Amino acid sequence: MSAPASQRRRSGLILLAALAAAAGTALAGQAFDPPRPWKNPPEKFVLATGVPCIYQKDPVSPTTVVGLFIGGGKSGVPSGLDGLAAMSTRLLLEIPDEGKVQDLMAQATRLSYVCVEDSSIVLIECLTEHLEKALRLAGKIIQAPLISGLRVGRAKDLMAANGKTDEDDPVAVARNVVFSAFFGAAGYGSALYGTEPSLKAIDRKEVVSFVRRFVVKPNIFFCVETDLDREPVRRLLEQSFAAFSDGAAAEIPRQDPALPAERDISREKETKQIYVGRSYALPRSGLRDMAKGNLLETLLGKGPGSRLWTLREDERLAYGVDADLTWTRSAGVLIAYLMTGRERSPEAIKALDRTIETLLEKGLTEEEMEATRTMARARFLRASEAKSARLRTLGLFETLGLGAGSAAGLLEAMDAVTLEEMNAFVREVLAPARALRVTVGPAPAGPSER
Amino acid sequence: MAGLWLAAAPLFAGPGRHFVLDNGLQVFLYEKRDVPLVNIVTGFNVGSKDETDGTNGLVHLLEHCVLFRGTSTRSGAEVGADIRRHGAYFNGNTGQDLSVFEISLPADYADFGLLNQKDILFGLALSQEDLDREKEIILEEFSQMEDDPERSAADLVLQGLFPGHPYGRSVYGRREVIAAATTAEIGAFYRKFFVADNCALAVVGDFAAADMERRVREVFGPLPKTGFKPEGFLMATPLKKNSSRRFERDVREGYLYLAFAAPDYNSPDQYAMNVLAEALGRGVNPLLGAYLHGQRDSVQSVAMVYLAYRFGGAAVVSIRADPKDLAAVERAAVSFLKRAHNESYSKKDFLGSEAEMAAFDYLEMAKNQIRFAMGQADESGLMLAGSLVRHMLLNTRENPGNYLAEIDKVDSSDLRKAASRYLGRGESAAVSIVPERGNKR
Repeated sequence: MSAPASQRRRSGLILLAALAAAAGTALAGQAFDPPRPWKNPPEKFVLATGVPCIYQKDPVSPTTVVGLFIGGGKSGVPSGLDGLAAMSTRLLLEIPDEGKVQDLMAQATRLSYVCVEDSSIVLIECLTEHLEKALRLAGKIIQAPLISGLRVGRAKDLMAANGKTDEDDPVAVARNVVFSAFFGAAGYGSALYGTEPSLKAIDRKEVVSFVRRFVVKPNIFFCVETDLDREPVRRLLEQSFAAFSDGAAAEIPRQDPALPAERDISREKETKQIYVGRSYALPRSGLRDMAKGNLLETLLGKGPGSRLWTLREDERLAYGVDADLTWTRSAGVLIAYLMTGRERSPEAIKALDRTIETLLEKGLTEEEMEATRTMARARFLRASEAKSARLRTLGLFETLGLGAGSAAGLLEAMDAVTLEEMNAFVREVLAPARALRVTVGPAPAGPSER
Repeated sequence: MAGLWLAAAPLFAGPGRHFVLDNGLQVFLYEKRDVPLVNIVTGFNVGSKDETDGTNGLVHLLEHCVLFRGTSTRSGAEVGADIRRHGAYFNGNTGQDLSVFEISLPADYADFGLLNQKDILFGLALSQEDLDREKEIILEEFSQMEDDPERSAADLVLQGLFPGHPYGRSVYGRREVIAAATTAEIGAFYRKFFVADNCALAVVGDFAAADMERRVREVFGPLPKTGFKPEGFLMATPLKKNSSRRFERDVREGYLYLAFAAPDYNSPDQYAMNVLAEALGRGVNPLLGAYLHGQRDSVQSVAMVYLAYRFGGAAVVSIRADPKDLAAVERAAVSFLKRAHNESYSKKDFLGSEAEMAAFDYLEMAKNQIRFAMGQADESGLMLAGSLVRHMLLNTRENPGNYLAEIDKVDSSDLRKAASRYLGRGESAAVSIVPERGNKR
């Protein structure tokens, strides 16, 4: 089957993408060329305050999303202080007086945070007509956060509750188990919302020190998706966020994944189903690795026709099958899993391993490679259709050191991966000796009692 | 939630194309050319409301078979392979009123999308063997849903809210009905409901509307008109007696779902109810959330949605809290909602008094939240297409008007009236999911 015109490769575009990746970030004020998936390409410039900004105009809705990306995230969490990054980011959003809370509420402006592997992200989402007020208020509270002992205490309660909710979700439990196994107790392996002992150990001074270390100009950047023109956005950001400290860029040692001695990990939970997963660390040195990783994620577990789909449609072992890939600065972490009834879990475990072994031994066909490529490209488009999701994608590429402009280049990188290269990649990363085996659920014997 | 469904209404007076094929199939086309994707959503007026206790779950099972078990020209595996070759996201869902099927794919493959949907929706060929295979998968879905405290509570609370009404059946169905289902039973539902004159199709994305209209007419036009007449149902009425059920699971948090009867999709009260749900339970610090956080330290999160159905509606509150305190939280929440008709929602309620300066305008907040949510809905072609299909199938009004203009007209007294009518008079259904006794984790 021939590819449609819009998907045919153009060597010039690949070269441009590769150059952008090699350069890390584009020059100030330069539009990334070509825009490929979007009508308006993202642009990167540096604000007069010295903070970089990635801006993309999207007139599809009268809303704006501003993300303040703070380098660090889970990677900056020391051993024994699990939850520190999430808690510190949450405390940046404490609004000191009732009047300001009411202003935000009335405008329906949303201030929220996400803490991921290599960054914490403060999100400001609003109707564009309220952007000026929203940024003015956000600027005041984020640049001079109120970190009192009382507020730290409240934030700990919130972290503990969020942690409990995570524990009620087998997929989240498995993910935490995998990261902890690959990366140990600190950094990427720490518990996002902390543990009982770590929350006890965190005090106001740890939070203040974390904020002082990470929320500094060399360690942050903005990303903006809006229907507003660039110059008003630039002006508003410069006016509202002029007080970040200069500081020094936070140095965080690279954290490489390492397989633990014990590669079979179980967490018991009295559920009707058992989560059965296999996880692998993937190499990440640039766009090409990311392209191969994303293709593998799609091949294994995304949608009808994926390799895991046969466990559902043909073997009827599960309703939920999936693959999930997370990129960090050092590596990718791929998890392929299914959720199956407890009586069938031994059969499901064998079937999952057999599926992966078959892929390893026989590899992909040319036809499967093309279908996977098409599917992965389309997934990228869908995942970056809405402003908020696109902002996260652009920010991730910037955080990983590839530059936001490379996000679109990922499509070309996926096109450039050959069948031979992909099969070699599969053989390298899915080797049984590299697998972490995870189950979450009841012990795999006996009928369900519930 | 209802806001997003109703948000489609203004598009009918806007730039899209709405037409009805000779066979009765309703079509809406809307150009959204910012991303090179095309989103095709097709809906049928059949849901769990059309089942009986003896057939509860068959519509859900049918939805699965349509999606995954093939047609007279392609096996299920071939459909899956075709979907993959064209980079499509492909799904379906069954609700109380409707069964909805969606496909989103690169704009270059729009034609495949139309042909594929026509084939799977109107060309099902189902063997008993294939049906039996799909049953096993659905039974796994049951278990997955029951392990998820929030999905499980949401399903149970709606059953508790509509006892004796067709909406009181679970959309997932009953295990024993699914286990015993035959192709004859499934086929009867399929032949009756999966017809052009019971169908609506919305296409949103990167295409030229004139070209798309021509292709839609070519692909779907030859389908026969059957003379299908939808069945009417009595409107759901408010609960006469409180119902509160508690379920133990291996969870660490407490999950509470509360539901009250609410206006139906075509009720003039829908606008006030939408605004009321936003004021009480959405956004940074809504009224109900602020009240509960003030009363009970154990409350972690509070949210409220309004679900508008064709023959009734539901206002559903979801709360996460310390399980030990959940009964007290339930009492506090119900008590507050019963009195919500006494609240002041707008600064204007204090006009001329000193309190006006200090009062917070929940009404303004709620309206802005709705505008923001509509903006977000505009960003997703699939969401927009889904809203359009629901509107075509659920709307019975001649001229539903401009949704945002109607929202703008809502004032504080409208909110009090809606609170009195829907939260103050009827009783509530409650479902709690709490940790198993003796669980020390």
